[in-house]
Amino acid sequence: MSLLKLEDVCKAYQMGKVVVPVLKNINLEIERGEYVSIMGPSGSGKSTLMNLVGALDRPTEGRVLLKGKDISRLPDDRLATIRQRMVGFVFQQFNLIPRLTAMENVELPMWFAGVPKKERIKRARDLLVQVGLGDRLTHKPTELSGGQMQRVAIARALANRPEIILADEPTGNLDSKSGEEIAKILSGLNDEGKTIIIVTHSPELARMAKRIISLRDGEIVDDRVS
Amino acid sequence: MIEYLELTIKNLTFRKMRTFLTLLGIIIGITAIVALVSIGEGMTKAVNDQFDKIGADKIFVASMMSGGGGTGQSLTDADVRLVERIPGVKFVTPIYTLVAGSEFKGEEKALPITGVPAKAAEQTFSDARAFRLMEGRWISQGDRKKATIGFKVHDDFYRVKVNVGDKILIQGNEVEVVGIFADTGDNDMNQRAFMDFDYLREIMGKGDEITEMVVRVDDISQAEAVSIRIKEALEKNHDTQSFVVLTSQELVKQITDSFKVIQVVFGGIAAVSLIVGGVGIANTMIMNVLERTKEIGIMKATGAKSIHVLRMIVVESGIIGIIGGGIGVLMGYVISLGINRAAEQYLGPNVLTTAVTMELALFALTFSFVVGIISGVYPAYRAAKLDPVVALRS
Ligand SMILES: Nc1ncnc2c1ncn2[C@@H]1O[C@H](COP(=O)(O)OP(=O)(O)O)[C@@H](O)[C@H]1O
Ligand SMILES: [Mg+2]
Repeated sequence: MSLLKLEDVCKAYQMGKVVVPVLKNINLEIERGEYVSIMGPSGSGKSTLMNLVGALDRPTEGRVLLKGKDISRLPDDRLATIRQRMVGFVFQQFNLIPRLTAMENVELPMWFAGVPKKERIKRARDLLVQVGLGDRLTHKPTELSGGQMQRVAIARALANRPEIILADEPTGNLDSKSGEEIAKILSGLNDEGKTIIIVTHSPELARMAKRIISLRDGEIVDDRVS
Repeated sequence: MIEYLELTIKNLTFRKMRTFLTLLGIIIGITAIVALVSIGEGMTKAVNDQFDKIGADKIFVASMMSGGGGTGQSLTDADVRLVERIPGVKFVTPIYTLVAGSEFKGEEKALPITGVPAKAAEQTFSDARAFRLMEGRWISQGDRKKATIGFKVHDDFYRVKVNVGDKILIQGNEVEVVGIFADTGDNDMNQRAFMDFDYLREIMGKGDEITEMVVRVDDISQAEAVSIRIKEALEKNHDTQSFVVLTSQELVKQITDSFKVIQVVFGGIAAVSLIVGGVGIANTMIMNVLERTKEIGIMKATGAKSIHVLRMIVVESGIIGIIGGGIGVLMGYVISLGINRAAEQYLGPNVLTTAVTMELALFALTFSFVVGIISGVYPAYRAAKLDPVVALRS
């Protein structure tokens, strides 16, 4: 059974009176431990696809199967539970909570998952050490560089030990050096067995993935394993 | 829960000015409530003191035939005997109150006098705190031509001070002062002499008339029933208009009723400002939610359920409420102290003493917390049902 399977998935948005199709008949299977990169021009539906895969949104048509379980019609709170346990998001804008420290930002998902305080603190510290921020535990996001913020975000994505990491243009706001560091961390995670799906415009970053999917106007136009 | 508090405090200190403005409504409301209740408690205490002064086991019967213009309608000794036989009555003290011509050291003045049987005088008034002796003693058994006088009569009623042992002429009869009361704070009582009932009626030529009687009952809880029986008995011989029967409770009630008006007004102010405060909190929380849309999206993306978001916002507004309440309690306390000062200056000491009790403070805090929580429910609901995808794009 695939870790992730999309069957005839369509997603459309209602814009006033017109219905705008964003994803059209997507069929896709991703196995455990894969490192997949999704490429495509802006507006081609990459983020929308990530949201469906990450249980943040529901398809208009078709089914999204996570470990063989159809999640495409689940109520909000069931989706929230799946996000808690199964996926970790990394965003282009880092999306850290500005008034919380690095530690607290990493603790947040565990907090929602009801992880006891001691365990939470230990795990948050370990994760920040793992991404090389052992000396920035109590820094606020504004006191960190872009690369450091993104590393906090990765630590946060890992907090509840999800099987899948979804990174939507994680290096889009970073200089090339920081971008390389982030790419290295993601490859490392893949080596440890995490399934990684990454959206990127960067050919170098995409090449680190074993599989590249190209999207255009909401359709998969290419899907190749390197 | 503790974690929500941590998060909330971070949220609130992040926006200090707005938090403060939001607090104002609650602060005003709670201040008004605390001040109101503390004044209310002060008034209740004042009334109870009044009650203590009068004595709770008494019923007052007064003739309404003023100034001796009675035509057989006035209360008489016969009525005293009638009341004495009523079940539940312990004993009856007849009283004759009038204003008589007096002379001291050649100075003539009209002096209010209460005639009370000498042997019963102390017993009748002693448990009433108003009458504390400053000097000498009460008139007592066999004291025909003696008087115990109020503080002002001793002090400045006449040009010369009247002391124990001095003699005042009442209607031309020499009466010796045997005691002086301490200042009661009440001019009517301070400016009055107490003399033997029989002797006073004799020198004033009042026959068997009385102006009042003070009835003591066996059982305080029966005072109301006894007072009704007294009314019924007296109605057989008298016009209902010609006398009044009042229990101590009824007297006190007349006072408390006037306090109620004040309480209603204050209560109205407090209620309005609390509603305004609640709306203020709701408004701020809605703005907070709008501003934090993205953040709520992030939280949802990292696994927050609706209930987490809901609780976070509700706890936050509850905390705003309780902080406002805390400040309100302090300000109410300050106002209460101010009123004490003012009352002391304008009404005299110990007339009105306001008090902010521990219960009151706790009640105010709980109440403001609840107002905060209720105000947070709608904004929290809006936040909880935000679509995470839309929220993240904002
Ligand atoms: N919530 C939404 N409402 C309306 N239109 C949307 C929404 N989300 C995305 N879209 C539209 O869908 C298209 C694809 O968006 P997106 O998946 O973000 O593209 P990408 O990430 O590839 O740039 C865009 O045209 C975008 O405007
Ligand atoms: Mg995108």
